[in-house]
Amino acid sequence: MQPKFLHIKKLSKSFPIKGQKDPLVVFENVNFSMDKGEFVCIIGHSGCGKSTILNALAGLDVPTSGTIEMKGLMITDPSLDRGVIFQNHSLLPWLSAQKNITMAIACRYPKMDRKNIEEKARYFMEMVGLHDAMDKKPSELSGGMKQRVGIARAFAIEPKLLLMDEPFGALDALTRGKLQDQLIEICDRTQQSTFMITHDIDEAIMLSDKILLMSNGPQARVVEAISVNIPKPRNRAEIVKHPAYYKIRNYLVDFLVNRSEEIKAQLINNTISDKDFPLVIDPFKSSSSKKKVQQ
Amino acid sequence: MTEKNKAILLSISLFFLLIIVGEIVTGNGDRSKANMTEYEILMGMGEPEAHVPGPIEVGKLAIKELSHPFYDNGPNDKGIGLQLLYSIGRVMAGFFLAVIVALPVGFLIGMSPVFYKALQPYIQILKPVSPLAWMPLALFVIKDSIMSSVFVIFICSIWPMLINTAFGVMTVKKDWINVSKTLEMGSLETAIKILLPAALPTIFTGLRISMGISWLVIVAAEMLVGGTGIGYYVWNEWNNLDLTSVVFSILMIGFVGMVLDSLIAYTSGFFNYQE
Ligand SMILES: Nc1ncnc2c1ncn2[C@@H]1O[C@H](COP(=O)(O)OP(=O)(O)O)[C@@H](O)[C@H]1O
Ligand SMILES: [Mg+2]
Repeated sequence: MQPKFLHIKKLSKSFPIKGQKDPLVVFENVNFSMDKGEFVCIIGHSGCGKSTILNALAGLDVPTSGTIEMKGLMITDPSLDRGVIFQNHSLLPWLSAQKNITMAIACRYPKMDRKNIEEKARYFMEMVGLHDAMDKKPSELSGGMKQRVGIARAFAIEPKLLLMDEPFGALDALTRGKLQDQLIEICDRTQQSTFMITHDIDEAIMLSDKILLMSNGPQARVVEAISVNIPKPRNRAEIVKHPAYYKIRNYLVDFLVNRSEEIKAQLINNTISDKDFPLVIDPFKSSSSKKKVQQ
Repeated sequence: MTEKNKAILLSISLFFLLIIVGEIVTGNGDRSKANMTEYEILMGMGEPEAHVPGPIEVGKLAIKELSHPFYDNGPNDKGIGLQLLYSIGRVMAGFFLAVIVALPVGFLIGMSPVFYKALQPYIQILKPVSPLAWMPLALFVIKDSIMSSVFVIFICSIWPMLINTAFGVMTVKKDWINVSKTLEMGSLETAIKILLPAALPTIFTGLRISMGISWLVIVAAEMLVGGTGIGYYVWNEWNNLDLTSVVFSILMIGFVGMVLDSLIAYTSGFFNYQE
């Protein structure tokens, strides 16, 4: 059998607490997988460990136990195969937008000559509609523009897996909408495999093939994997008319408002088992699979 | 009137006020033979003697000295410009030697917690030592007064540079380090492309402090070892009881110190960045 594109097995993370014997277990027994070309979002309340998981995927953070495999190879260190877009853009403020991107390209393709690197940078700046702002420093750009440079930088290294930690979290609604549309278009076109953290349910439905739901921490789990069977390419105006849209949306809202906390309590009381997590659920097709969780 | 103009006006008024008050306090106007008693004249008080000079007297000397600042009539009679150049040269030599040592070591300390912990006690003990306390040792080992002054400048300017470099490197934003990690940069590449530009503003703060201290210390060092330099000049004029020259050199020391400081501040402007 061919190994999965991305396979996370029994991942956990704990932090020792000063003066206490037992450590703080942020999450445990986290299992999920991802296919090539898939767009996966992960949703859960603040503090359940989403960023920790993403950093482990990036190789920036070491999990306490469990393994992450990409095409059968263990992930232990950061790599140019995995591009990261951080929440607060993390552009280097002393470099112009263009230099931020050319620096990344030069790291990815050490043998490429200056001219080709600059051409490539221009291409990706154009992709996010920012070719006019090439020579500006990050401090001269608006929040949305900075995030777009960050996106261009991540795409420019053409990673096998793109990781995004609430990339639009700090932006106003209007800018966020624009950037989401842009991201949808780029991801559809490039078939970029993407793992993204978001707080925004509509954003998750718009972009995802699969949405992972996390119960509340501590001792959080990835409880369910929601299939989003809405044809692509999607657009904001059309998607709301699709019958699956509100089914999925209501399901997610219910999970965040009620069930994420209920499941946490049930796990602590041992009234449910996390043996089969994450349960694969398509809210549009069935309500039967949902019962399994509530048994 | 804008704030700036008000400040300029106030500054100028203060200047004239200081001159007037200076003249009155030093009381030079009364110092003529006409209003002295015969006894005082007999005691030689009418002759030129040591007294705190008034601003006008200092001004006259300044014009005289600055119209040919670089003359050289032997060891005890050199122009003030020449003396200042000696001092500046020593400060620069010591300062740049310190940069060569402090920057790499600062990076090492900033990048490696092991080095940080290992070197911390040495820095803590050596840092508070007055640079002049090194002078006897330096004179004995180096056996040359000029090089000893350079060494004293080196030893006093190295600490602020070292500490600021290490601090600047240590406090580089984690996000930027993560960028270098995800781009698979090695240690040297990270140091040059990420840490150095990120830490430069902090490093420059250290350089500025070091330069300030160096300029303070060189005057004292040259008073101690003699020969040449502005410190020796001041001490020599004090021995001649020429207080006018002493006051004039004080002003010149201040002026050069200001220029050195602005030079570094100006240079650091090119490496500042805004987040
Ligand atoms: N260095 C640390 N020491 C102790 N606890 C930590 C540390 N880093 C993160 N945590 C805890 O881990 C939990 C998960 O953090 P994070 O992954 O940022 O959550 P999320 O991104 O889902 O909001 C938080 O509750 C936080 O308190
Ligand atoms: Mg987070």
